[in-house]
This record gives sequence, C-alpha cells and structure tokens, in this order.
Amino acid sequence: MGLKASWEIVGEPVDPDSTDELFFTDHEWATVEAATARIIPTDADPGAREARVVVFIDRYLSGIDFIFAAADGSGFLKMTGRFADAWRDRQTRMQHTYRQGLAALDESTQASFGRDFVELSESEQDRALELFSGAPKPTKVTLGSSEAVTTFLQGTFDEGMGFFTALCLHTRQGFYCDPVYGGNKNHMGWEFIGFPGPKSLKDTMDGTYDTHDYFEPTYDWDELIPHLKANPA
Amino acid sequence: MPSAYRVLPTATGPCGLDLKAVTMSTKNDPVDVIVVGLGACGGTAVKVLCEAGMKVVAFDKGPWLDAAKDFSGDEIKFVNRNYLWPDPTLYPRTLRHDEDSVAKRFQFSPTPQLVGGGTNHWAGWVPRPRESDFMLKSLHGDLPGASLADWPFRYDHLEPYLTKVEWEFGIAGIAGADKYEPFRSKGYPSPPLRPTRWGKKFYDACNKLGINAFPLPHAMVTTEHKGRKPFNHTSFWNQYGDPSGARSNTLTTFVPEAVATGNLEVRPECFVRQVKVGKDGRATGVVYIDTDGNEHEQDAGIVILTLGAIESARLLLMSRSAQHPDGLANSSGQVGKNATFHEYLFAVGLFDKEIDDPLYGWTGNYISGGSLEFYETDHDRGHMGGCIIAASQITHPVNWVFPGRPSWGDALKDADRNFFNYAMKIGLILHDLPVEKNRVDLDPTVTDTFGMPVARITHRPHPNDVAMGKWQVDKNVEILQAAGARKTVPVYLEEMTGNTCHQHGTARMGFDPKTTVLNEWCQAHDVANLFVLDGSSFPTSTGVNPTLTMMANAWRCSEYITDVYAKGREEHLAVPR
Repeated sequence: MGLKASWEIVGEPVDPDSTDELFFTDHEWATVEAATARIIPTDADPGAREARVVVFIDRYLSGIDFIFAAADGSGFLKMTGRFADAWRDRQTRMQHTYRQGLAALDESTQASFGRDFVELSESEQDRALELFSGAPKPTKVTLGSSEAVTTFLQGTFDEGMGFFTALCLHTRQGFYCDPVYGGNKNHMGWEFIGFPGPKSLKDTMDGTYDTHDYFEPTYDWDELIPHLKANPA
Repeated sequence: MPSAYRVLPTATGPCGLDLKAVTMSTKNDPVDVIVVGLGACGGTAVKVLCEAGMKVVAFDKGPWLDAAKDFSGDEIKFVNRNYLWPDPTLYPRTLRHDEDSVAKRFQFSPTPQLVGGGTNHWAGWVPRPRESDFMLKSLHGDLPGASLADWPFRYDHLEPYLTKVEWEFGIAGIAGADKYEPFRSKGYPSPPLRPTRWGKKFYDACNKLGINAFPLPHAMVTTEHKGRKPFNHTSFWNQYGDPSGARSNTLTTFVPEAVATGNLEVRPECFVRQVKVGKDGRATGVVYIDTDGNEHEQDAGIVILTLGAIESARLLLMSRSAQHPDGLANSSGQVGKNATFHEYLFAVGLFDKEIDDPLYGWTGNYISGGSLEFYETDHDRGHMGGCIIAASQITHPVNWVFPGRPSWGDALKDADRNFFNYAMKIGLILHDLPVEKNRVDLDPTVTDTFGMPVARITHRPHPNDVAMGKWQVDKNVEILQAAGARKTVPVYLEEMTGNTCHQHGTARMGFDPKTTVLNEWCQAHDVANLFVLDGSSFPTSTGVNPTLTMMANAWRCSEYITDVYAKGREEHLAVPR
C-alpha cells in the first residue's frame, strides 16, 4: 500500500484562470462564484471572484488529487492506502454536502424571490444568504468594547461541517491559500490583507523567504528586561 | 461542459481494517528494548539508551518524514487539512463531560502522529518547572474535589537533566532574565530570537505594570549548534513543520543521533496494539500492525511506552490479560485517571489602523515575550496556583486568531483589512488540577482504522481551573489595555478541548503501589520491565508547558535503565521531605 513518507509528487499547480469544471456543473459553478463573492465581496480591493476562489473549491471537491500540495509547490502529493481511502470517503460526503446545499440555496431563493440565487441582485443575494443561513449578516467590528468567548481547538478542519459554514471557510481558504491550490490569484488575497507572503512554497524551504524586516528593528535586552539590567550575570 | 456527478471510487471498501482478514503474521528477533511512540520522550529515550549501547527497536504509528524535503509554509496543508495531525476518520477520539453521557467524536488533544511527534509542530515554549510544582499536596493539603499529590522527587533531582536537554536538544534563552526561575547549573546554548513588534508592545506594557517579562526559553537555536543551520526566518512556525535546523525537533536531532550509534531500528507507520506479557506477568514484547494491515510480534527485555498520556493509557488498557485483567500495570485501578490537559486561554487585542503603528501579528516564531509573574499561589486571588503567560502570534491569513472575526460579507472584509496587521494576543497555559474522575478509558463503541477501541476522554474542569482561567485571562486583558489595545476579546474556560496537546497524569508516579501506577523511575509497580516515560507519570500538571520537564524526566529514567536496571540492580529515592 505504500508509506505516507513516500507519497509521490504528481500533477502541477492549479491554473487559477482555468474554466474546466472538475466537479461543479455550469450552474453550480456560477452559483458558487456568486455566493463566494458575497462572502468576500469586491470593493475597492479584489474579492473572492477575482482571486478565483471558485477554482480552488472546484478542485478541492473534485476528489483527492488536490488535498496536499507538495512541500515545494511543484505539484500535489499522491496519497496511498488508508489515508487515500479516508479522504475519498470524506470528499464524497463533502460533494453531497455541496450538491445538496447548492440545490437547497436555489430552492430557498425560488421560494422567497421566485428566481435562482445567481439571478438575484447583490443585495438580494445578501438577504438570501441571511434567510438560508438563519442568521443576520455579520455586522462590522467596532472598537472600544470587549466581547468574551470560550475556548476552542486550533486550526479548522471541515469534516462534518454544514454547507454554509463550509462555504465560508473554503472561501477564506481560497482567498488566502498558497496559489498552488488555485485561489489567491497573483497573491491578491495576501496583498489585500497586508501579508507579504512567499513567492513560492519553495522559498519557505531554503531561506529565500525572510520576514525579519517586519520584526522590531532595534532592541536591547537590558532595556526590555529591567531585571536583567539590575542583575547583570 | 458540465461534469456529471462523480462518485469517487473506493479501493478497499469502507475505511478500516477487518482484523479477521489479516493472515500474515511474523515474529522478529528479540532486542534489548522496545520504545513505542517516537516523539519528544521516545526520542529522548532512544538517544540515551542507544548511546549507552542498548539495542532498541522503536515504533511510531505515523510516518518518518524528511523535514528538509517535506516541510514548508503551506497554511492549508498544515493548519486546515491535518497533514501532521491525526486524521479524524482513521484515528478518532471521543469526549464527554460527565459519567452519564454518551461520548461524542471529538479530536481532543490531537497531537501530531509521526516520528518527532509534537516536536514537529510545536511553538516550543520550554520554561523550567518551579520548585512548588513538585509538592502541591505538601503546600496545599487536600483541596475538595481535586486529587492533589506530590511528585516522588523534587526540582533538584531533575535540574541536571533539564540542563542536559537544554544543551543537547538546543534551547534559546537568556539565563537570569526570569526573575522567578529556580537554580540553574548552566546558561543557554543559544541566544533568543529578536523580538517582534507585538512582542515589544508586550514588554513595554509589562514594564509599565511592573511585570517581569523576558524571552521565554524557546525550543530552537538562532545560531549554529551541533551542526544545525537555523535559516528559517519565515514566521511559519506553530503547527508547521520546520525545514531548517532552527526548531528543536527529535525528528532532526535525537532520533538521527540514536540511529548514528547503529543501535536503533525505527519502524514507522506501525501501530502497536498490545503489550504482551508472560506467565509471570512481565512484559515480553509487543504485537503490532504494519501499514498493509499485517500483524507482527517483537520481543524485548524491556518495554518503554512514550505515546503521550492519552495513547499510553489506551495501550495499557488494551493490553488486558489473565495476569492483568483490568489492563496492564493497573492493579491500583489508577490507569487513565487524574488526567490533566492544560488548556490554552487568551485574549486578543485590536488596535486602530488610523492611529497606531502596525504590529504584524503574523510574524515571529509564535512566542515573543512571556512571564511567570503570576505563577505562584496568591490567596488574594481566591484560588490556588498560577501559570505561565506569553504574548504570541496571531498567525496567518486563513486562520488568523480573532474570535469574533465576522464569518462573511463586508464585515469580514473590513475586519481582515483593518485588523490583521493591528492585532496581538496574550495567553496562558492553564495549570489545571488533577481530578480522579477526569480520565482516559476505552470507548465502548467507537473504533479506529485498525478496529481497536479509541480513547474516550471524560472531563469536567475543577472549579479552581475555571477561576484561575478567569483571573489570568483578565490579567491578559489588563496587559493588552496597558499596551494600548482599543478592543479586547477574552477567551475563557468552559470545557476543555485539549488545544495545547499537553497530556499528563494517566499513570501517576509515586511510592505507593496501591495508589500509583509507576514508581519514581516511571517503572510500573506491577511490571518491573515496563516503563512509561511520557507525561503519563505527572502527578500534577505544573503551570508551565510540560515538554522540557517530560524530556528531562525521560532522560533521568532512561539513565536509570542503562546504569542500574539493565545491570540487574535496583535503587530507590528516599521520600522527599
């Protein structure tokens, strides 16, 4: 069956401009493109549509060929054995989640607006997402307050996640991922948020990518730590 | 062209292996020692044992990767898709909060499973424990609802081994910067990483409030050390593997050093499902399943478990026999009980882009500045104990840590645009108290990919945990405010999630075989040739990150094995006073 340590590198980075549909139908593609454009909308800065989030999601849902990029971003890892089986099962379930979720979204907009989601105006789409998700559109963060929450696990895995929550997560992933996965075209998500990310994954492996310019430029431990200054070794 | 709905082909049917279908079974030549689990503690054990000339076979459930070739700064792969973390379909865990509930699937304390274990992904906070950590019961007596206990040794017993690990493994720090540190016999081998901008904010705020902030000891080297070249300045750190020689990871240090002796054979991607015993009740070896599902046996004179406190307890409980009907080494009934998990609690502070300077909260190697100012008990706080705090990275764009980050729409876009570079975080490692009912046992229905029962966690925080968490998080908020934060988001404790990967207490060490599982050398009271050298032995969790203490203790006990036990002798410590 092969060891995880010897997974081969196959394929190549995803082309963000591709219009080939590996999983979605034309209508689903258009619906996902429109919905993700409401999750991360285009304003003075690019949004999910320009960053090709729909390509990212289509490739992710297509099977298990685009799950783990090769470390250097030259292609993707070909999973084997029980890992491949687990991912295949999981992706089959996520395909159902999307297929049913997208159909339910149209059913919901047909009931409320008499049209499919893609035929609505942007403000109608926002309203449709509120109705569909059962929660109001998130309000803007304001300063001058404190809002408590309770503890949670680090990282976010999508196993068992419902459609709309998964769509929001996958939109963020597609907007901010390394471009090898098909989203974040030309690093436009990173540029938007102000993250000077690496040109390529390979640059994070050999010392090429260096972020020390963003650290504190000058420092003196004795100044930062008065106790050290007062008690020299 | 629209694609047809694809049903993905499944090669071998539903995930999971039918054990009855396994036919091949082989037996290998016996060796001196078996080590199960090659993480922080297993890595330490194989180094000490192999360098002393013992022949060792070490098993790990996960792969033996090549850090230089397999690790890079890919947020999707390392943070969102479990490349290092246990796949929840293959290796589930279950969780419940009380005795009467049916446990639900939850990836509680999901520590990476591969050679190097948690030292692959860790941020690497490696502060030393304090003298008080070894004697909570002596200091506080019996606290209602908690099962406090002293350790069977004291800080002084461990100090030489803390120093050995700091120098051999590679730790960056400044000796003397921590006002409250107990005696240390030697400084650090590497200077600390330069501060980040948000780290500088933390230092300034702490100095304003009279708090002793300093660069927390960090499991990395910033200068060449033992041939390592620390070129990683990428800020891809916590949860990512490090392709350079910067991070101290047993995968790239102790394991290759042990292999170089010629005395270690590593069997990766092999799952040990049982420790075998002989008629006399002593361990004779292990039964394991390889990646193709074939079962094998390996015999040895000594068996060492270093799987982490959850999986070590699980393996002991799975290793039932006529000689050990309640699980191996469990005549006390204490295996799995008194489990402690720490929990990472924190507060995030947001700053104003229009007024404040950028903090670049995504930079750094997770921690930049910390303090043990609030570590010892202060009865004025209304609870016992305290813990470490640190300023830490808010991490990368997909998953940047802002609880309350809007989920969609203009609000999400504005929050990301306005605050990603204008946020910082201060958090703590909760010093949770042992409670006998908080435990690990075998789930009655849920099994893993090998068909074996998974670990079920039963846990409810002690009221002292909740109170300490509240007080410490509020202190985090106070420091953020002193730093100039214009909004704060405190994250309090309700129920544990195991988000630190820290696990302790499931096979406590002590002098009394009736109430503890292991003796002061982490040797099973019931099974003389069985040792458990991970955090399972910790009677209490301590208020610092446990790995340095675990590794020092694994070194101390491994040295007992090579120098005393393997020579047919037996020694004991006097009960500390």
